[in-house]
Amino acid sequence: MPVFDVLSSGQLLFAALVTGSLYALVALGLNLVYGTMRMLNVAHGDLVMLGAYAGYWAFSIAGISPLVAAPAVAGLGALLGYALYKGLFRRLLAVAPADAGRMEGNSLLLFFGLSIILQNAAAMLFTPNNRAYQYLDEVWRVGNVAMTGNRIAALVVAGATCIGVALFLGRSMAGLAMRSVIERREAAYIVGVDVDRVQWSSFALGFASAALAGVLMSMLEQFSPFSGFPFTIAGFIVIILGGLGNVMAGLVAALLLGVIETYGVALTSANLRSVLLYGCFVGALLLFPNGLLARRSTRK
Amino acid sequence: MNNLWGDRAWLAAVTIGVIAMSALPFVANDYLVGTGLTLLMWLALTQSWCVLSKMTGYVSLGHVVFYGLGAYLMVVTWQQLPFVVVILAAGVLAALFAALVGLPVLRVRGPYFVILTFGLAELVKFSIMAAESASGTASRILFGTPDLVVVYFSMFALALLATGLLTWVSRSRFGHGLRSLRENEEAAETLGVPVVRFKLIAFVLSAAIPGMVGAVMALRSTYFVVGGVFDPMISITVIAMAILGGGDNAKGPVLGVVFLFLIQELLWANAPLLYMIILGAILITFVLLLPNGLVGLAGARTRRREARAVEARP
Repeated sequence: MPVFDVLSSGQLLFAALVTGSLYALVALGLNLVYGTMRMLNVAHGDLVMLGAYAGYWAFSIAGISPLVAAPAVAGLGALLGYALYKGLFRRLLAVAPADAGRMEGNSLLLFFGLSIILQNAAAMLFTPNNRAYQYLDEVWRVGNVAMTGNRIAALVVAGATCIGVALFLGRSMAGLAMRSVIERREAAYIVGVDVDRVQWSSFALGFASAALAGVLMSMLEQFSPFSGFPFTIAGFIVIILGGLGNVMAGLVAALLLGVIETYGVALTSANLRSVLLYGCFVGALLLFPNGLLARRSTRK
Repeated sequence: MNNLWGDRAWLAAVTIGVIAMSALPFVANDYLVGTGLTLLMWLALTQSWCVLSKMTGYVSLGHVVFYGLGAYLMVVTWQQLPFVVVILAAGVLAALFAALVGLPVLRVRGPYFVILTFGLAELVKFSIMAAESASGTASRILFGTPDLVVVYFSMFALALLATGLLTWVSRSRFGHGLRSLRENEEAAETLGVPVVRFKLIAFVLSAAIPGMVGAVMALRSTYFVVGGVFDPMISITVIAMAILGGGDNAKGPVLGVVFLFLIQELLWANAPLLYMIILGAILITFVLLLPNGLVGLAGARTRRREARAVEARP
């Protein structure tokens, strides 16, 4: 097929939208945890991986539809997030503000240790083999675009969740409290926001969205215990470009990343997928050396 | 801290270690010599890593990139150039790469630097993988590599060089400059420490030896796959060894390397997954129990403890 036909077919755009919506959902959770606590959760992608396994087991053992299992898996993710926050990370946050920079570095190593443990424990328990299952794979045609049911479902669920969370952050009292902690932690504390509660709920919400993204991902592609990390990287790219606490800008950035990845792979080869992803990541960080705070600091 | 007794004990330990490691190839079988070689490899890598990451606080999670580049150079030029020349060239290549990416990369601070170095190493890995698969090479085998004893003593020299380098840096004026920028980069700059230049020099210094180590290890393993020499596990192990050891001179890494190496020897071949889980657990334990373990400087620790005592008073 000539290059122009490939680029102009709606097929690629649809694929890019699906990938982008998953990235947006993954980035959402990272954004909340980083925004409220300044912790870079490099284990975030591994939660996506665990969510994928949960969806896989629910479908292949109990025959439960992944879309039905998804809320329950997200709930489990929320519980895990809550437990980890209360058990591990609250201690880490209780440091002097002067040590905040070091705390960021330390929390990164902590999450990194957690990531290694999750990946290898999953490989021990579930074997390191790739897994996949078939669900809703009948093809729907709209115009000249062929879409499988599972991709449409993933796009709808991921998109709706992102928009739902954006509304929650913008309209509800709890969401506003969360945003106030993201923007001005000390000020939020002074005006009476329960920072501890905001933090554990961000952790829970972040972990839940990662687990949900995992269930959706498991419907679309094969995965292994080591499939999580690329999602972490994608999530980082999205929040570096989209900014902290800004879900809608994140959505746009995620779709952009989906477009770059999908079209880039289509134009070159599948071997270059990782090169593209890590290239975007390195490029985004070099462009915004202050990382995720790049956008916020200009407002000070 | 650095009292006379501590220095004397350290000197004695180093002397005994050097004598024992020099004698090893003449008394032990190939298996033990190979084990000793691996120990020396970790020592050289960890000491070099400390030159940048312990001294400046810029934690590199991508040091394997230098190792991989060195190994790759050795494999690509094999039987076209004398291997000694290639080992040195590998050091130059790694240093050049560090110098090239150093300025933009070292502008990125804190946790972003950590994940950036990781991303950069993966980017180089996947780029070389794509290039190799485009040219149709999946793996390479080196024929006619030098004798194990030659490889062993090359690595020995690198381990000594790295230990010497870190010892020199930690005691020099340059090292004090690095420490000052680790504690507070803006303040150091205000006081006239050439922050940018110092960071770059530390980065280049800490890259050169891993490049050479990679080249030497390519001679040892003779079988080459891109994913193997750019394995992020190498970077992670180096960090864990350095954190375990603590401190910011050459003593800590020796302890950390020996300790983790013993665990590795027990587990890596038989239970690699369990080994990785233990590695993760070590990271978490040390970060939680020694929250400032990365810095580890006793003086800074007491100062911070005082600061915390002040904080605790409401």
